[in-house]
Amino acid sequence: MIKISRRNALAGIAAAAAIATVSSTALAAETLRIGAIGSLSGGGTAWGLAIKRGAELAIDEVNQAGGLSVGGKNYNLELLMYDDQYTGQGGKTAAERLVFQDKVKYIVGPIGSNPVLSAMEVTTPQKVLLMSNGYTPKILDNEHKASYNFRFTLTNLEYAPSMMKWVKENLKVTKVGILVPNDAIGQSVAPPLVKLYQDNGIQTVVDYYERGSKEFSPLITRLMAAGIDGFDINFNAPGEAGLMVKQARQIGYDKLVYQMGGPSVPEIIEVAGQHSEGFISYEMFDFDAPSAQPFVKAYAAKYGKGIINSQTPAFYNATKILIEAIRRADTVDDTTKIRDAVEKLAGYDAGVYGPVRWTGKAIYGVDHQLALPFYVVEVKNGKPVTRAVLSVD
Amino acid sequence: MLSMLTNPTILGQIVVNGMSLSSIYILVALGFTLLFGIMRVVNFAHGEFAMLGGFAMYYLYAVFSLPWVAAILLAPLAVAIPALFLEWLVFRWFYQKMFQSMIGLLGLSIVMIYSALLTWDAFERNIPAAFDGILRFAGVILPIDRLVTIGVSALALGAFYFLMVHTRIGLAMRAAAQDVEIAGTQGIDTRKIYRVAFFVAILLAALAGALYGQVYAVSPFMGERPLFVAFIVVILGGMGSIPGAALGGLILGFTESFLGTFYGGSVASYASFGAVILLLIFRPWGLLGKPE
Repeated sequence: MIKISRRNALAGIAAAAAIATVSSTALAAETLRIGAIGSLSGGGTAWGLAIKRGAELAIDEVNQAGGLSVGGKNYNLELLMYDDQYTGQGGKTAAERLVFQDKVKYIVGPIGSNPVLSAMEVTTPQKVLLMSNGYTPKILDNEHKASYNFRFTLTNLEYAPSMMKWVKENLKVTKVGILVPNDAIGQSVAPPLVKLYQDNGIQTVVDYYERGSKEFSPLITRLMAAGIDGFDINFNAPGEAGLMVKQARQIGYDKLVYQMGGPSVPEIIEVAGQHSEGFISYEMFDFDAPSAQPFVKAYAAKYGKGIINSQTPAFYNATKILIEAIRRADTVDDTTKIRDAVEKLAGYDAGVYGPVRWTGKAIYGVDHQLALPFYVVEVKNGKPVTRAVLSVD
Repeated sequence: MLSMLTNPTILGQIVVNGMSLSSIYILVALGFTLLFGIMRVVNFAHGEFAMLGGFAMYYLYAVFSLPWVAAILLAPLAVAIPALFLEWLVFRWFYQKMFQSMIGLLGLSIVMIYSALLTWDAFERNIPAAFDGILRFAGVILPIDRLVTIGVSALALGAFYFLMVHTRIGLAMRAAAQDVEIAGTQGIDTRKIYRVAFFVAILLAALAGALYGQVYAVSPFMGERPLFVAFIVVILGGMGSIPGAALGGLILGFTESFLGTFYGGSVASYASFGAVILLLIFRPWGLLGKPE
């Protein structure tokens, strides 16, 4: 557990103490904490920073506009984040600290099935809202009917049917290689993907690697020997995905490399360099779209003009939806009321994806899955170029 | 499976992959085994010196744009010279104290990881490839960056062998490794020998890190895997044995490459650790080590 946020926490305590002193004489804004969990170390770091930065941008907007008015009080929002190290244990520990120690009522993140499932074990019984993103269906389809969980990005169950149709029609692959980590994530997401390929008449060759491994050449050689004409680096964290693209090209694999999940196109370009040319990916966001420009500007102003991970707008969106629901529920404590307000938020536009639409009933039995547009991009001259815009059926 | 065994292109590819894995493994393990052989120090912070080598390479090559040859020569020095301060501050207290060294240096490892995390951040940094192309030879693909890694490792191994076998200081180091007290009574300045051995070990670790960082990625956590590998290699080869480290590195690299290609990643890990467990039961001093 990294105490990245200890400094922030200390600053928060200092600020709270200062406010407590001041408020005896003048009416000042109270601080309302929003929790966050994400990977701030290892291969999933880009995703953890996406959660942190997305949430911070949404919080900054509210604070700069004078704070959040709820129940006659004015609140200054603050983010409190812990590292989950992209592991189940990390997710659980982070959730326990946020819920029991810091008394946080709503959490954005984490990303990844393992940390989300483990965090849920803590948050759901305590009625703490979890605004997360993980691929496993169990996040929404569980014995609690996902009573306090919402998912803010699409999973393969939402986008894969449309994406698969596009892959089949446009890429014309017949036998696809898949490399996944040998843990709960890999073992829970690979079978449905394999089935989807099979249902579309495409053969698959699946292999598993140990998480933390950086050398995939032997496994890619194995896939090549099996005669694949497509390599789907589907569920891999950005660091690993980039190395897979690079190493596949380095050992002479010259057929298609694409990613139906993920996604992490900028990181893959960064890691794989010239070997990323022609790489095709599912993409969650089009940063070149005119509607995205205010967000892109705000991001550049705060964090510089570096790579923006495409999960960042998703967590900006999640945080804005959460804040709007708190405002509409007119309570900061009653998470059941806030949950109901989130469910009734259809039509609200947080600015980056268009109006909110909840879906998921048919697959998970509960409409707690946000429906979003998505994209197919191809790397050309070192830059992702949008090839198609698709939508959830 | 059988068709893979008889396919010369795939076999060639397996050999190339195995060589490139082995070369980095050997570099990491050499310094680790040297520190153990001479000072009886289990350097849990070894991976972190490799990490610093990766960052040094990142700055010298990617940020300051030095020529690659200059960067790969300077990066290990940029780590090993300041590391002498750590030797004075931390390491020297643990010489000939194996168990204390494990705990003490595990602490140092954590301090180094989180100092790096505070100094930089957790992002994985990419060092642009200096040699991006591939060669084709009889149907086998040879990535040039891997060939360079193999070449640099071979050179370093050769230089290290020369130092140990053909120089007075090497002779003194070997004497100290055999019996430090008797070496002392023969007039060998063990304090100086320790410092030289430490410097060489860190130099090798940082060189391995610089190569590893360029082939894979640089981050404060990148040292975990090299340390893990160094352990297996050194236990396989025999703690403290230098030819053992070379042999262990080759075995591990080729095992991963062959088994990974034929049976998949899980079997490769399973077999590596299975071999280590069997070895520890039946030959605890390793393949080329000496029974204590």
